[in-house]
Amino acid sequence: MAYTPYDWQQVLQQKADYVEDRLRQGSPVVAVSCQEGILLLTVRRNQRKIFEVYDRLAFSGLGQQSDLEAVRQVLVDFTHSEGFQRSTEDVSIQRVVGLAISPVLKRAFSDPTKIPLVLRGLFAQVEDRPEDDLFYTLDFDGEFSLVKNYAAVAGTDQAHQAMEKILSELDTATSPENAFKGALQAWVAGRWQMRHGSEGEDKSNLGGSESERKTLLRETLESANVEAALLERDTHRERRFRLLDKEEINRYMPRL
Amino acid sequence: MPEELNHSAVDFWDLLRQHEIPFPNSESLVSPAMPVKSQESIGVHGTTVIAVKFRDGVLDIADRRATASNYIMYEEAEKILSLDDETLIAIAGSYAAASEAVRFLRHSFKYYARSQLQDMSLEGKLSEVSRVLRQSVPGALQGIGGFLPIVSAYDSKKKEGRIFFYDMLGARFESREFGSAGSGSERIRGSFEYIVRTKGPFREMTLQESLRESLLLLDIAASLDTATGGLSKVLPIAKTVTAQGVVDVPEEELKAIRKELMRER
Repeated sequence: MAYTPYDWQQVLQQKADYVEDRLRQGSPVVAVSCQEGILLLTVRRNQRKIFEVYDRLAFSGLGQQSDLEAVRQVLVDFTHSEGFQRSTEDVSIQRVVGLAISPVLKRAFSDPTKIPLVLRGLFAQVEDRPEDDLFYTLDFDGEFSLVKNYAAVAGTDQAHQAMEKILSELDTATSPENAFKGALQAWVAGRWQMRHGSEGEDKSNLGGSESERKTLLRETLESANVEAALLERDTHRERRFRLLDKEEINRYMPRL
Repeated sequence: MPEELNHSAVDFWDLLRQHEIPFPNSESLVSPAMPVKSQESIGVHGTTVIAVKFRDGVLDIADRRATASNYIMYEEAEKILSLDDETLIAIAGSYAAASEAVRFLRHSFKYYARSQLQDMSLEGKLSEVSRVLRQSVPGALQGIGGFLPIVSAYDSKKKEGRIFFYDMLGARFESREFGSAGSGSERIRGSFEYIVRTKGPFREMTLQESLRESLLLLDIAASLDTATGGLSKVLPIAKTVTAQGVVDVPEEELKAIRKELMRER
């Protein structure tokens, strides 16, 4: 049977629908610059979702765990072979996203014979000053974009907008505690929007009210946990990345 | 799943092999036509690096001189390097081979932690050092890249500092109190024993006491060995590894003890 451009377009549409359907209920991920570094946060049930990739680089995302894992391994391989061959300074976020992973996702998405990867990724690179920190978001079709100060990925556009509304009010000169609180608020706003929002709805209640978010967070934390990590800006440690332990998370948690 | 996402490297050695990145670099310089050096000359490395225990962990100290035969190339070489937040390495021998090995080990430990999502065990790290040494044997035999390390680590399970030294083939030995390497180390070996017998074990000393004894040892080594830089010209480098991680001993502390030692001469 002849294969027409129309078929190809159809296939891409079906693939996009297939992926977006699966992403819709995924747990959002947030990354925010603060004085001490970059704080990354999500809420999850079992599997870890925030990962150290290289000395100044962290990766997270939503989607199928096996796809996140496959991408993570490629990133770790790429950065370590590059860093060893040249210098650790030559491993940069734009090379990692633009060179190592975006073309792979693009090929998988546009090849009609391949199953696309179900993921929406978030990358963060800590620099010497908060205003120089870099964030990239990467979609399942290989499209990526650079953002500053903060970044968020969610299952729907509206959820993303709800998160941005909260994140845009955050100050990058803040402490990790305030960054944690802001990131958590943004996460809940995204989650609330995914549950309650629908396309075309009035955007005045984007992300829900404070009390609605509080209730949702309380319910969510009955069966899930906050996962947070800090990519430290100034440290004498060899590794800048550290997962926040339970004690630290409890200290930063708002009263519910 | 796209082919590019088929991850198959089991460790950092494997990753480098897959990407055709040579390690060690000296491998390409080794030729069967080149003569093998005598056993005695292989182990001689112009320097003195010292590791001694103290109450909270291990103190590493080294002179800063880099030599080529009887030529002083550089007076600010760094011979104490951290491999990660719990491990220090002190290097004696070919600086090129040793610094490449350190870069490899740092990457290898981090690669393991980041890909496997768990830190490499102390035993695993020590074996990795052995493996690196074994790989550099051909170069060492032909005089283009031998080195001997002292590895100091804080064992978070045993909650104590530990010191390991190696032979050229990668055999590993643990030292109860101290370790040293380089041409100057042979000349001060007896002094270590003397300190332990007359002043008690290093592991019971405070950092200040260990620091004083090891600076004195380095000064003695420098007075007996031309390849070891003394205390007077360039300040030695000293680092500690404890439960708090790797920390540089502040220059002011070193200067104060140096002043004292110079006065006592």
